[in-house]
Amino acid sequence: MADPTTTSNEPSASTSGSQPSGSQPSQKTMTKAERRELQEKQRAAKLAQKQTGGDTKPKAKPKPARPTEATSSSGADASRSHPKDAAASTTVVEGVTSKSRSLRIFSHFGLPKHGPGVKGDIHPSIIRLALQFSEFRICGANARCIATLTAFKTVIQDYTTPPNNTLSRHLMSHLSPQITHLVSARPMSVTMGNAIRQLKLEISGSDIDMPEQDAKDLLCQKIDDYIRDRIIIADEVIQDLACKKIKDGDIILTYARSSVVEKVLLSAYKQGKRFSVIVVDSRPLLEGKALLQALTSAPPVSWTLSNDSLLPPPPPIPCTYALLPALPSLISEATTVILGAHSLHSNGAVFSRAGTALVAMMANQHSVPVLVCCETYKFSEGVMLDGFGKNELAPSHLFQTSPQAPNLEILNPLYDLTPPSCITAVVTEVGLIPPSSISSIPMALGRISL
Amino acid sequence: MSSELLDDPTQRVVENLAWKLRRRQIVGSRATALETLRVLHQVISDSPFSNMEQLVTIVRGVGRRLVEAQPKEHSVGNTVRKVLHHIREEYNTATRGSGSTTTSYSGFSISKFVQLGQPRKHTVLPKAESRGSLKENDSDDPDSFARSLRPVLKEAIQDVLDELETVYDNVSKNAPNHIHSDEIILTLGMSKTVEAFLISAAHNRNYTVMVLETAPSYGGRDMAKTLSTAGISTFLVPDSSLYGLMSRVNKVILGAHAILANGGMFAITGSLLAATAAHAHSTPVVVCAGQFKLTPLWNLYHEYGALDFGDPNQVLGFEEGSLVDKVDVVNPFYDYVQPDLIDAFITNDGDHPPSSIYRLIKETYDDEDNEL
Repeated sequence: MADPTTTSNEPSASTSGSQPSGSQPSQKTMTKAERRELQEKQRAAKLAQKQTGGDTKPKAKPKPARPTEATSSSGADASRSHPKDAAASTTVVEGVTSKSRSLRIFSHFGLPKHGPGVKGDIHPSIIRLALQFSEFRICGANARCIATLTAFKTVIQDYTTPPNNTLSRHLMSHLSPQITHLVSARPMSVTMGNAIRQLKLEISGSDIDMPEQDAKDLLCQKIDDYIRDRIIIADEVIQDLACKKIKDGDIILTYARSSVVEKVLLSAYKQGKRFSVIVVDSRPLLEGKALLQALTSAPPVSWTLSNDSLLPPPPPIPCTYALLPALPSLISEATTVILGAHSLHSNGAVFSRAGTALVAMMANQHSVPVLVCCETYKFSEGVMLDGFGKNELAPSHLFQTSPQAPNLEILNPLYDLTPPSCITAVVTEVGLIPPSSISSIPMALGRISL
Repeated sequence: MSSELLDDPTQRVVENLAWKLRRRQIVGSRATALETLRVLHQVISDSPFSNMEQLVTIVRGVGRRLVEAQPKEHSVGNTVRKVLHHIREEYNTATRGSGSTTTSYSGFSISKFVQLGQPRKHTVLPKAESRGSLKENDSDDPDSFARSLRPVLKEAIQDVLDELETVYDNVSKNAPNHIHSDEIILTLGMSKTVEAFLISAAHNRNYTVMVLETAPSYGGRDMAKTLSTAGISTFLVPDSSLYGLMSRVNKVILGAHAILANGGMFAITGSLLAATAAHAHSTPVVVCAGQFKLTPLWNLYHEYGALDFGDPNQVLGFEEGSLVDKVDVVNPFYDYVQPDLIDAFITNDGDHPPSSIYRLIKETYDDEDNEL
């Protein structure tokens, strides 16, 4: 207790170095020169950390403990003669300590890896797509999946099988660096993973005796079918099913922007249902503004003829916009909450845009039904228990609005996990199902594609 | 109205503060409490009164004027109530000092509590007691009552002022008992009390704070900046990440705008969301607040809704162009947090569970002042 700063130094040494903390000499037992060296190394580490966007893999750090080990016994008396100096250096060390300690719990969040370290030639369309991904020009599970598959079609068409090889064996090894490049721009979404797995299956199953161009055309055809069946048609079915749950006079609350939810709301409006929408939104992405834009600029329906009488065009959808902290004040007004999803796990948990879980939780507390619109191709085999384990951070350079300070870190997690207990039903193209039955859906589909 | 009882300069001081409150030139519970106290000090020293009822009427009148000017700043009313309570207490001691009664107050008893509605109220003396040096309604010298009572009243006001000025120190006194090493604390918004509490804990403990940005005021950004400058390892996160991070948070520390008699509180928007998410994860929620925020009020009419609304421009600015005239924008200022979501109040006078707030209120104010 006499000197808390010295004791707190030890965890840092054990995180940055690979040896156990017991062998670590304490700050006091080092010579002045050693301390200076240590301090400088830590500064360099800090700088390097900043440049790599806060990536905290232990190997990225220099190991400050190494040189001090040999001379630790000789430095014992030297530090006693310079207590002031020791105190000064430990304060600096402490700053680094606390930072690395707390960063450790976020280290698995996985920031996008920068760097050109991808082998093989990358197709220009993939390079372009990766850039769009990393700058969030293309954002959202469906959009990213469709864009990836469309880019792969170009890649496949431009591909020629090298001599002494077959398409079914070689094409995948040609595609994998492309995929690696995309993942380096932004971590792969579950939808992309599912689609790529399906594509791999199609490639390995393609007939060896088929002429190359025919095989490529067939693959492109399969990709088109996948997009049509699993995404576009699925969305249309979901629209029909979800619209049945919207009645005249309803107040629908939604969070951020999901392409499916947007389609559901617009199609319900086109069917002549009169309801209002509350859009709840939050930083960092503020996607709800795009949804508002789409809802308020819904094409004005002109005068319609029905039962031999002209009907005036309906008024636009009344919209209310609020930020997430205002949610508790609005949730009691809502009659239904409709949410989108990034992926759905077999325990019924919904992995979706950060903030979705808060909306579902509040709705559940106020007994407002929560519908999650999700195509079956977003299903993921694994089980997730909390949104902290696997997440993605928004790159800070894109969403920089905040102050800078030495001990301050800015984190923008993009996703969170809604527990199944907060969800009333999941709207899929195979019907409305409770979250507890999610695991049976791939079976019901005959595992044709999962 | 009591305003006729005030002389011109005092009246002007009162009106001045009323307008400042109304225009929100003075905001924040502590700032308003301090200003109210200053005005009351002047009222008591300058206005003429010759008996107790007159004094109470004057102070109440001033209080009513200020509360009506800005009903959302509860600490204004609380300060007036507290001063009234002190006035009565001083009056009682002054009159009893020479009186013949020897009612010795002996400890706390439930029966007394039920009887008087207050656990430690001094037994009220019958009116007919002799007043010794204190003469009310003296026709020869109408100012004698005021002259003899004023010094003690000024002292009482000074006590309240001292309490307000040391509130941060006293709240943060206990900080090391609540924050332990390596904990992850979540807080939101900009609260001076919470800031002082966290910084004081950082002297002895090495811990991490996560600050929610708290849209649309983004007070969390300022908070994060001051905390990190004080050497605390700080993470600034958007409001949306609250649920995802909550599983790693050890404690939620909130500030309050007003603490209500049932143990609930009004606090900046986002507090209810944070408290509910904490409840879902069984994370303790601790509120730091000075006792001047205790308000003898029940939240009967806006159980969940907002109490006050802020500027919609903060939510959807005019730069959004066409959207602005097509969309309703909601920007509530405060949340009502129910008592069952709060685990403890850390005040400048000890830590209290929400269930004992009513007792503190009974002790601090007189029942008759609840309605000013």
